[in-house]
Amino acid sequence: MTQRVAVTGIGLKTPAGTGVEQVLDALAEGRSTAAAVPDLCDRGLPVTFACRVPDFDTTPYFSLRELRQVDRVAMLAVSAAADAFADAGLGPFADPARVGITVGTGVAALSFVEQLVMEYGGSPERLPAFSVTRAMANSAAARLAIRYGIQGPAPTYAMACVSGAAAIGEGMLKIRSGQLDVVLAGGADAPVSPVVVSSFARMGAMSRRNDDPASASRPFDDERDGFVMGEGAAFLILESWAHAEARGASIIGELRGYGSNSDAHHIVAPREDGSAAARCMRLALADAGLGPADIGHVNAHGTSTVQNDLAEAHAIVDCFGTASPPIAATKGSLGHSLGASGAIEAVVALMSAVNGTVPPVANFRSGHGGTSMVDVVSGAVRKIPPLPALSNSFGFGGHNVSLVFAPC
Amino acid sequence: MTRDELAEVVRSRVAEVVGVPTAEITETTDLRAEHDVDSLELMEIGTRLEQALGTRIDASNLMDMRNVGHAVDLLHSRLRERV
Repeated sequence: MTQRVAVTGIGLKTPAGTGVEQVLDALAEGRSTAAAVPDLCDRGLPVTFACRVPDFDTTPYFSLRELRQVDRVAMLAVSAAADAFADAGLGPFADPARVGITVGTGVAALSFVEQLVMEYGGSPERLPAFSVTRAMANSAAARLAIRYGIQGPAPTYAMACVSGAAAIGEGMLKIRSGQLDVVLAGGADAPVSPVVVSSFARMGAMSRRNDDPASASRPFDDERDGFVMGEGAAFLILESWAHAEARGASIIGELRGYGSNSDAHHIVAPREDGSAAARCMRLALADAGLGPADIGHVNAHGTSTVQNDLAEAHAIVDCFGTASPPIAATKGSLGHSLGASGAIEAVVALMSAVNGTVPPVANFRSGHGGTSMVDVVSGAVRKIPPLPALSNSFGFGGHNVSLVFAPC
Repeated sequence: MTRDELAEVVRSRVAEVVGVPTAEITETTDLRAEHDVDSLELMEIGTRLEQALGTRIDASNLMDMRNVGHAVDLLHSRLRERV
């Protein structure tokens, strides 16, 4: 029998805060967290701002010794996953082989590798012994397995900006199939460093509003000119319904549908008509056993690039017709945290559905340039009935993932 | 570099990797027994000492050391030979 998949815990580390309530409150205000980054400004780079996770007390998560053995991606991932673990009230596992981990990351430890090359490129013989363990893409998954004694599968997915959402969907399949009872599923990235940010800037993908960072990320707005780099991590505890009920867990909501496909079109540009993205949304809806009319709101990928948002608007119309559900676009506030974004937005979509409140899109004024065909929430929180939510993620390479969450 | 100065360098680099204040690392500290230091952490201590002292350190020497004072002795004789 196919298992229903419950979400029993969530954890967030984002530029708008490092606790779930704090993040949701900040998103409700519809403000951007983008600000100048000294490291980028000092170098006179093409883009000098980003959305960064504020410093937080790491002592609940790491000893000083452990902290020196992880890079920032794993630090954010393990912290967010530990929050989710505590939120779910998980303890020692009766059968650790039936617990798994799925992690998504877009560029993994690329910024750490950048730093290593800058510091040791001329003298590799001096490299620290912890270089590999900090740089390897599966670092977060491995740290989590060791920390919690998790002995099931622990894959890391590299699918650019859909990585975190893919990890959640793939984690769900492992529970549905009966392979696992519990999965720690999420995403993390920490790409705010001179070479990584400049790489994205040099391809023309980023906003150049260096003089006014807070207005730069404006998904679906006519004046958008590119995405704003972010960072962060989000984790969900996915659990078979039977396992959650048997241990008396508090169920936040249901992960109900997962769609995944590829544009097969261009290495970075989306299909202009959004047809593959629309198919992806329909796959997720069909998987959830729902139709477009059952969806209470969409948490869009909404990067604030000219092409992505227009293609996504077309895709939403393709899937939902002229009756567009309310559209949230979290990147207006948090920037684009690459592989983490799909996981962060999954949590936001779930909690928006549970609370019946859709946060406004930061900096959205008007969509006369083509995005007005969808109902972008702006200005203030929109109250909605507690209906299922669809969360979209689209990545470089043309990968698409949609997830459907339902309130209990 | 006197033996005392060298001991201070060793204790501080060990403390960085183990994540404790330097005062907690003494010459009688047994890193494996008291701090569960693994071979990768020993390698990291070695790379930090190489940088601080400007000398090559054979990993097998570190693996053989009984406690911090023993490591200081080994390095002290090594540095004197070099002079």
